[in-house]
Amino acid sequence: MKNNVKVQRAIHNLTQQDLAGRIGVSRQTINALEAGKYVPSTVLALKLAKLFEKDVTEIFELEPTD
Amino acid sequence: MKTNYLFPHRLKSISGVLFIISFITLVVFYSVPELNELQLNATVFAIIADADNGKIFNGITFFGCIENSIADELLVLIVLTSGIIYAFSKEKNEDEMVASIRLQSLAWATIINYALILLSYLFVYGFIFLNVLMAVMFSQLLIFILLFRFKMFRFYNSHQDEE
Repeated sequence: MKNNVKVQRAIHNLTQQDLAGRIGVSRQTINALEAGKYVPSTVLALKLAKLFEKDVTEIFELEPTD
Repeated sequence: MKTNYLFPHRLKSISGVLFIISFITLVVFYSVPELNELQLNATVFAIIADADNGKIFNGITFFGCIENSIADELLVLIVLTSGIIYAFSKEKNEDEMVASIRLQSLAWATIINYALILLSYLFVYGFIFLNVLMAVMFSQLLIFILLFRFKMFRFYNSHQDEE
């Protein structure tokens, strides 16, 4: 699954640590998420979408292998 | 996402220290035969027993009292309780990725442990197999703790690639 969390984070001018604090996960989780090494739960995806004021599908996108 | 089956984080360091100390003591206790002289005799309740005062007899006692040295029982009690608490207490920043790392480590620890059991079952014969059975009591917990700590170490040191 692809995501553009890094782009959204840059738009909102947040560091990984800031974003992590806002949605209640660790900085490392955001890091792994942006690197595409971790697929978040629905709850976390919805929290991110709510924070960025976007639809979940605008942030996360399925890949052909999914 | 709330996980409620984990022990609180404040128990982590104390149980970790206790686990390491008691585990090393237990290994030394089992591997140095002279230490078997160190007896802490007590009358204990046995659900089932075929030895009294360390001596094997022909009959079997069900739900009776026997004499036994409780030094090893106490050690195992401390090793297992502190080990379980250490292995299953919350991280400082507990989140869903930590939960997934924990689950993955647990699955791998189970697979590795059973592979080791199978290998020892196939290639260890005779009374020495009792040692394998003894080790198996702690191996899964130990493998899990080592694996999980290693993965968490890598997780905490994952590079921060920020612009």
